[in-house]
Amino acid sequence: MFSEQAAATAQGLLAPPSAEPPTFPRVAVSGYSDCSQPFQLGERSFARQYAHIYAVRLAGMRPGLERRARSRWGNDVVLRRLSELQEGEKCCVVGTLFKSMQLQPSILQEISEEHNLVPQPPLPKYIQPSDELILEDELQRIKLEGAIDVQRLVTGTIVAVYGCEQDNGRFLVEDHCFADLPPPLPWSGPSSDRYVLLASGLGLGSVSGEALLSTQLLVDVVTGQLGAEGEQSCAAHITRVILAGNLLSQNTQSRDTINKAKYLTKKTQAASVEAVKMLDEILLQLCTSVPVDVMPGEFDPTNYTLPQQPLHRCMLPLASAYATLRLVTNPYQASLDGVRFLGTSGQNISDIFKYSSMDDYLEILEWTLLVGHISPTAPDTLGCYPFYKSDPFILTECPHVYFCGNAPHFQSKLLQGKEGQRVLLLTVPDFSATQTACLVNLHDLSCQPITFSSFGADSEDGDMELEH
Amino acid sequence: MADELYLENIDEFVTDHNRVVTYKWLSYTLGVHVNQAKQMLYDYVERKRKENSGAQLHVTYLVAGNLLQNGHFVTMKSKLSTIASVHVYSIQKALLKDSSPLYNTDYDIVKTNLQHCSKFSAIRCAAAVPRTPPDAPQVPEPVQSPQRQRDPDAAINGHRVRAAKPPPQQHKGIMGMFAAKAAARPQDTPKEAKAEAKEAAGVSAANCKPPTKNTIMNNFFGKAAMNKLKANSVPEQPKEEKEVVKPSVAVAESESSPNTVAEKPGKKTESDRIQQKDKKSKTKRVDRSDDEEERDPENVKKKRKRIKQLLSDSSDEEDVPPSPTPEEERVPSPPPEPALKTELEPASTEVSAGGRKRKRKRVLKSRMFIDEEEGCMVTEKVYESESCTDSEDEFPKTKAPAPQEQAMLPTKREPKEERKNPKKGAAPASRANKQVSIMGFCQKK
Repeated sequence: MFSEQAAATAQGLLAPPSAEPPTFPRVAVSGYSDCSQPFQLGERSFARQYAHIYAVRLAGMRPGLERRARSRWGNDVVLRRLSELQEGEKCCVVGTLFKSMQLQPSILQEISEEHNLVPQPPLPKYIQPSDELILEDELQRIKLEGAIDVQRLVTGTIVAVYGCEQDNGRFLVEDHCFADLPPPLPWSGPSSDRYVLLASGLGLGSVSGEALLSTQLLVDVVTGQLGAEGEQSCAAHITRVILAGNLLSQNTQSRDTINKAKYLTKKTQAASVEAVKMLDEILLQLCTSVPVDVMPGEFDPTNYTLPQQPLHRCMLPLASAYATLRLVTNPYQASLDGVRFLGTSGQNISDIFKYSSMDDYLEILEWTLLVGHISPTAPDTLGCYPFYKSDPFILTECPHVYFCGNAPHFQSKLLQGKEGQRVLLLTVPDFSATQTACLVNLHDLSCQPITFSSFGADSEDGDMELEH
Repeated sequence: MADELYLENIDEFVTDHNRVVTYKWLSYTLGVHVNQAKQMLYDYVERKRKENSGAQLHVTYLVAGNLLQNGHFVTMKSKLSTIASVHVYSIQKALLKDSSPLYNTDYDIVKTNLQHCSKFSAIRCAAAVPRTPPDAPQVPEPVQSPQRQRDPDAAINGHRVRAAKPPPQQHKGIMGMFAAKAAARPQDTPKEAKAEAKEAAGVSAANCKPPTKNTIMNNFFGKAAMNKLKANSVPEQPKEEKEVVKPSVAVAESESSPNTVAEKPGKKTESDRIQQKDKKSKTKRVDRSDDEEERDPENVKKKRKRIKQLLSDSSDEEDVPPSPTPEEERVPSPPPEPALKTELEPASTEVSAGGRKRKRKRVLKSRMFIDEEEGCMVTEKVYESESCTDSEDEFPKTKAPAPQEQAMLPTKREPKEERKNPKKGAAPASRANKQVSIMGFCQKK
C-alpha cells in the first residue's frame, strides 16, 4: 500500500539539501467512539461464585441458538431441556460444553496432601485422547459422544446438539451447531485511504536490546521522521495506533523479592519500573503525533482477570498529558471512522490453544467468532471477573475488524458471512519476537504487515530495512 | 554560506568527535527538518566520496519497500520489488557491529528533547495538544499551520522561529549553523539548560535522565564517597521548599550548576534516598537526622541522644547510610527530644526543652555500706549532686535516707514513685517514650 504511492519520491532524499521540506498534516480523526463500556468494571466484588456467569451465558445465548437450530434442522425440531429427555427421541438440546481433561491443572489436586503430587509443569497443550465432552444445562449434565470433535472444542462453549439419548445414559450426537456469526453492523467506512497501525508485544524491559531499535524505527515511521517524502506523506494517513497488550516483557514479571532474602532485595526496584518509564517515553513520542490506544496485556501492570482494566495514567505521566493517549481495556471495542474494531491482547486465544487441538491462531480467532463468544474458557482456565448480570464476552454484533494480539505470526483473512457480514480477522504478531506490526486500511479492510529489521555484522555498508 | 557550514559541522562530528551521526541527531542538533538532515548527510557523503581523501566512512542507509520474496535480507535492494524510500540513516567512522550505537544516539537525543520530539518531524498532528495540566505546567507543542504548499520565506521564518522558542535549542541551532565549535559541550549544555528549564516544571523527565545516566557511576562510588558528596551538596540546598519529594529533586537538579561528574551521583543518590525516605518509617527519618544534627553546633547534645535511640531501634536501620535531608527531620526531632532527656536523667521529674548548660544537679544513686550495728550490708539510695550537661530540671523532694532498715523501705518506695511520675508524665508525649522507659530500666541498678 505504502510502497506504490511512495515509490515516486523514493530517492528524493539522496540529494543535497533542497528547498524547505514539506510537512504533512496528520489526517484528522473523523469519528471515534469507544464502545468498551461493558468491559469497564466499576465497583468490583468477588463475593460471588462463578456459576452465575455460566447461567447468564446460557440464558443470553439460548434464544440465538434455538433460532439457529430451527433454521438448520427444520422448524419442527423438538427442543428439550436435559431434564425432559426421553430415551430414543431425536431432539435438540442447547447447553454449555464441559470438557473433562485429565491433564488439566487443578489447584486442589496440587495442594492435596493425600495425593502427594508434584506440581505439574506447564505444558503447551493439555489435550489427551481420553478427554470427554459433557453437556450441561441449567439443571443436569450428560455425556456426549458421536459426531462431535472432542479434541477441538473447549469448555464453556454454548452449543446446540441434535441427537438422542441412549440407554447407557449418554447422548449420541448426530449433528451440532454453534451460534454462528452475529448479525452484521452497517458499513460506513471512510471514502479515502485511512490506516490504523496495530502492534502488540513491544516487550519493553527485556534483557535484549536488539528489538529496541526496531521499536524506535516503528515510532519514527509513524511520526513521520523515517522514510522519504512519499513514505512520510503516506504515514500521515495513519489515523490511529493501537497497542494490543504486552507492552512490558515477561522478564519484568520476576519477583526476586519473594525468593531472595530481604537484605539482598532491599533497595532494588522492580524491573517493571524502568520498563514503564521507557514505555512512557515511547508513548510520548507517539502521542505528540498520532492518537494512541493502549491495551493492557498479560504482563502489564494491571489486574489479571479478564476484562483487564486500563493502565492507570499515573504510570505514564509524560504521555498522559496529551489528549491523544487513550488507555483502554482488554478486550477493546471501538468504532474508528465508522469501522468497528474488536480485539483482545491474545490471552483468550492462547488459552483456547492450550486446551484445544486447533493450532492456528487465525483458526482459533475465527472459531471464537463462529461460536459467538470471545473467550469461552473463562472462567474455567482463564481468569475472569464473576459476572452475574450479563456476560459481556458474548458477541452480539459482528465487528468489521476482529483482532488478537501477541500471536506468533502475522495472519489475516477477510471473512464473508451469509448475512452480509464482512470481517477482517487479524492476528497481530508479537513485536519483540517478529518486529512486525500491522497496517489496516479502513477504506477497503485490507491489511499489510510492516517488518523492521536492522543489519548484522557482515555488510560493510550497513543497511536497515523496512519491509512492507 | 550557511549551506557550507553544515558540512563542516558534520565533518567535525564524525571525524573529530567520533560520533555516530544519525539523521535524527543531526536534526535536533542543528535544528532542522528531518528530511533536510537526511539530505545534508547525503551531501556530505557524496562530497567525501568525491574527495576520496582516504578517511573511511561507514554509512548506514534505510531502505523501505515491498519484499519480492519472504525471507531474510542479505542485499536489500535486490530483494525489494518496489522501493518506497531510501535515505541515509547515519554516518560514522567505525564499522558498526550492531544497531545499538544507532539506537543509543537517537535515544539520548530524544530523551533530551522529549517535549519537542515532533518538532522536526514531517508530520504534524493538530489533535496532539496537551490536556490542561493540573499542577506541572508543561510547554505544549505549538500547533503549526499545516500547509503543504508554503511560501518559502515564511516557512524559513517559521522554521527559525520554532527553533528559537526553547532557549537551549536556539542556542545550539545558532551555534551549530554559524560557529565551528558548535559541539563544544554537547552533553553538558542540554542537561544544564534542561535542568534550568525544568526547574519550575514537573521533573519526571528530568528524573529519568540522571538515574539512567548515573546508575553506572553509582556502582563505582562506594557508600562512603556518596556520603561525602551528600555532605557537600546538602549545605547548598535552600531550606525552604522540602515538603514534597518532587520539588526537592528539582532543587537538587538546579543546584547542579557546577555540574561536575561528582555531583551527579550525589544527585541521584539524593533523589533515590528522598524517595526511599518517604517510604520508610518515622523512626528512620529521625535516624537520618543524625548527620545533619552533627553539623549544627547548637544541637551537639541532641546527637548523643540520637545515638542512644539508634541502638534501641531495629537492626536493619543500621544498613541505611545516614543521608541528610533537611527539613523533614527537623520536624520530628523536637518531639522526641524532651522524651529522650527524661530517659537519661532518671532523676528529672519534668519534660523540659530548654537549657543546655553544664550544671551540678542531684542524681539518685545507690550507695552500699556495711552497718556495723546491725551487722548487715545496707544499700541506700541517695541523691548526690554531680555535674552533667543538659536540661535544667526541678528536683524532687530529697529525702535523707535513714540508716534503719525499716526506714529504708518507705524511702525506697518514694523515689520510685517519684520516678514513676515523670514516666507517666512523659509517656503521653510521644511514641519514643516507650523506649525511654526501657532505657531507664537498664540504667537503674
